[in-house]
Amino acid sequence: MDIDIRHIAKLARLEIADSELAQFEQQMKNIVGMVENMPDISDELKPDPNTPMRLREDKAQANKFTREELMKNAPSVKAGCLVVPKTVE
Amino acid sequence: MVKGYEVVIGLETHAELSTDSKIYCSCPNRFGLEVNSQVCPVCMGMPGTLPTLNEKVVDYAIKMGHALNCTINPVCKQDRKNYFYPDLPKAYQISQADVPLCENGYVDILVDGQTRRIGITRIHIEEDAGKLLHSDKFNGASLVDLNRCGVPLIEIVSEPDLKSSAEAKIYLETLKSILKYLDICDCKMQEGSIRCDVNVSVHKPGEPLGTRTEMKNVNSFSAAVRGIDYEINRQIELLEAGGTVTQETRRWDDVKGVSTSMRSKEDAQDYRYFPEPDLLTIVVEPERIAALKEQIPELPNAKLMRYVKEYGITLKEATFVSESVELAALFDECTQKGSGAPKSYISWIVGDLVKYLNDTGKSIADTAITADKLIELVKVIDDKTISNAGGKKVFAVLLEEDKPIKDIISQLGLSQVSDAAVLEKIADEVLAANEKSVTDYKNGKTNALGYLVGQCMKASKGKANPGMMRDIITKKLS
Amino acid sequence: MAIYEKSAAELSAMLDKKEISSAELTKEIFSRINAVEDKVCAYVTLDEENALAQAAEIDRRRAAGEKLSPIAGLPIGIKDNISTKGLRTTCSSRMLENYVPPFDASVMTKLRGAGAVITGKLNMDEFAMGSSTETSYFKKTRNPFDTERIPGGSSGGSAAAVAACEAVMALGSDTGGSIRQPASYCGTVGLKPTYGAVSRYGLVAFASSLDQIGPIARTVEDAAMLLSVICGHDKMDATSAYREYPDFAAQLNGNVSGLKIGIPDEYFGEGIDDEVRDAVMNAAAELEKNGAVLKRISLPSTDYALSSYYIISSAEASSNLARFDGVKYGYRAEEYDGLVDMYEKTRSQGFGAEVKRRIMLGTFVLSSGFFDAYYKKAKLLQRRISAEFTEAFKDVDVIAAPTVPSTAFKIGENMDDPLKMYATDICTVTVNIAGLPAISVPCARKSSQLPIGLQLIGGRFAEQTLLNTAYAYEKIIGGYCLPEL
Repeated sequence: MDIDIRHIAKLARLEIADSELAQFEQQMKNIVGMVENMPDISDELKPDPNTPMRLREDKAQANKFTREELMKNAPSVKAGCLVVPKTVE
Repeated sequence: MVKGYEVVIGLETHAELSTDSKIYCSCPNRFGLEVNSQVCPVCMGMPGTLPTLNEKVVDYAIKMGHALNCTINPVCKQDRKNYFYPDLPKAYQISQADVPLCENGYVDILVDGQTRRIGITRIHIEEDAGKLLHSDKFNGASLVDLNRCGVPLIEIVSEPDLKSSAEAKIYLETLKSILKYLDICDCKMQEGSIRCDVNVSVHKPGEPLGTRTEMKNVNSFSAAVRGIDYEINRQIELLEAGGTVTQETRRWDDVKGVSTSMRSKEDAQDYRYFPEPDLLTIVVEPERIAALKEQIPELPNAKLMRYVKEYGITLKEATFVSESVELAALFDECTQKGSGAPKSYISWIVGDLVKYLNDTGKSIADTAITADKLIELVKVIDDKTISNAGGKKVFAVLLEEDKPIKDIISQLGLSQVSDAAVLEKIADEVLAANEKSVTDYKNGKTNALGYLVGQCMKASKGKANPGMMRDIITKKLS
Repeated sequence: MAIYEKSAAELSAMLDKKEISSAELTKEIFSRINAVEDKVCAYVTLDEENALAQAAEIDRRRAAGEKLSPIAGLPIGIKDNISTKGLRTTCSSRMLENYVPPFDASVMTKLRGAGAVITGKLNMDEFAMGSSTETSYFKKTRNPFDTERIPGGSSGGSAAAVAACEAVMALGSDTGGSIRQPASYCGTVGLKPTYGAVSRYGLVAFASSLDQIGPIARTVEDAAMLLSVICGHDKMDATSAYREYPDFAAQLNGNVSGLKIGIPDEYFGEGIDDEVRDAVMNAAAELEKNGAVLKRISLPSTDYALSSYYIISSAEASSNLARFDGVKYGYRAEEYDGLVDMYEKTRSQGFGAEVKRRIMLGTFVLSSGFFDAYYKKAKLLQRRISAEFTEAFKDVDVIAAPTVPSTAFKIGENMDDPLKMYATDICTVTVNIAGLPAISVPCARKSSQLPIGLQLIGGRFAEQTLLNTAYAYEKIIGGYCLPEL
């Protein structure tokens, strides 16, 4: 099984250094090799009606948190907003 | 057909549901407040937080499913759609993948007087994302406002059954009026409460379907028309020049009136959908599905067809009235209870009533106009108690104050004179005073008749029954 | 016996009789921490000041004659993936080194409501991914019974702190064995509740469909006490079960007469060390002597459980950990060029190697073209494994097995071999896959030996049966003993 480590890393937004690539590739191969022992089961993965969920009543609650409390862990905040590198040209 | 090509259009329409709270947390579902003020740890995606599904969202989606003749899946689930973007705090959107809440439906729309049946592939529930704010002043940064995160959405996916931008617009307007009728969406376009993605392809008649492109960022119905027309022309020009259409996602820029490529098929996002493990199965009891079906009123597209086909009302008037829950309710009550002509009721509604509502910003409930009043008004005009002009005066009063119609008529002195003796007396006086016109008439100038009748109406201060007056004058001159 | 060595039940009785105050007890625990923490390295964050304030408050309430929970005033440590309002919650990751939650996990609300004194936050494998607590960004926790050895993981800090008496009890979390395995290595009692019994709200998710918070304690009775406080329905967790739970500790009677114990062949075969197999078999024999009935059973799909587990848990983790992107909280890379580069640098620098491996595996098994061969198959196998357990529990009340195939290994021994590390989970993952409760309780051992755990697995919501069986065994052989530090 060949795994396109670069492609997977891109999907996962991880940067794999060239120096790490070979080891990563080998480890991934080993892990995927380990999980490949599974037998074939020809069945469909349907939602299980035996685990029904109770839904929440539609009732709005006043916010218990100030914006400052919610944003105090943010790396960069400006004018009450989170700041990110520009997303459109 | 455009320039010898057949056009195939499918739409993915997102509508924000007007619930009190968000889809997965109890934050208020409100628009236009201070940035990041309608946010809690759940919709902000803080570590350790979990979603809880709002039951109203399920109910509303099922209602729309019934309205669009869908099969409702009593057992379904939610899935995660994984992608990174700053407006998506969890880096996944909770949506529905292989088992949507509703599927395999259709909606009938009226195109050029003909009914067209547009297939509905599916309707599923999902959460909205936040908003990114851009400005040159932000020094190469964008700002993130998460207020809209977790606003409930339904995505309505159509079959590729639409054949032109005009049809697409009618389809979208039909969806909008249905959403309004069901009272499940505010349908405020400028607030983005309905948005759509457009899939377009073109092909020569008899040939297989062309390669389709998907266009995003279409934020109004008129933008949809412009975007679709642009894309149709772009594809045809490409093909005519011997080129091929590439499967890609494009972004519509409504200000510039152009679409640009966002990503090709090769770069297509791999969303890695999988069942949302934080939520269990959505199981809706058959009784609940049936009860929600009971709540579906006659829908605007059905009304429209009824008005046009049964009442012979013009398409324009019928569309206008059927799209408004209030106007249609008023009109339907009039036609059910009253014996007047439907056309009479509708002309009051689309005329004086709508003008007043538009001018004042009021709703029908703010006026004294009710079906009973409108029925009575049409009746007193039909039986010639008052003239049509008098009717307008009565209507004007009813817009402002609630009074019995007969009181208004007597207070304004609007009762028509239909007593032949009184009318004959007026006619004699007018004929005596207008000998020249009488002579003109007898010499063949028939338009003198209108003048004489007008003078009689004036003499009666407008109260004379104009039809009877005309008959009497004609008789006297012959 | 030193105060710090006493069980929660004993201390609870002393507090109740006012033989000791919570303030005195808390000071005692902190002086124990000061004495041994350098050797054990169990804590990421200590919170002595607040702990003493909480203790004083409980003493005041007790003096005022309030009726208090049995755990009121007891110093309890919390695994560092459980959100604590105002107290940093790092998941032992650089990514969350300075993250301070603005809210409490639901279990914390319950603990605080019951008057627990929170000593601090306990070390773990980064984001609970690991079996040795070696993947922590901050420090390597040591096994109190041999500080050259790992304490197990991922709740290694919790198990080590309880074993070393640096806390009276602790909360851990268990996704594939992360409570039971370190409890076994550290000679303590660890219980993984039925999925849905304890709210996950505020537990930083590793694998949402498998994670459960549970107690680690020195005695079965203590674990029962703590479990009663933390379990129960929570409307903030849609996967939380609607159920009432008994006072587990009050129901303990140690009577195993007629109890049917299943011995599954698959858990005693290849890969299980002889000393572990013998210890667990002897434990089963002891229970038999006391009236239990042993029965050989088979759980044939056990061989595939590890695969199913690593696929499902990694898939969910790849999605759960995507939110750590340097935007809302946590680490952000210093230098980057544009949004995508910011994401990639932040995540590559913020996560350690094991977390990256799991994210990569999870991303791979969900990616286009591989979903059916991996994720879907793993989920279908999960149903089969579950069904086999359901079938087995028609014949037996409890299943006995080793918790881990061997005793604690040396620090660094398995760090470069993920597969060898993953194999230590072989006996524990099935329980998470099937959503069942299980407990690890210390086996009898010679004092020179490293601790070995007896794992007892029950049917859904059979916690009381498990606790009772473990309690019976503990009474027979003695249970926890204090390590020399």
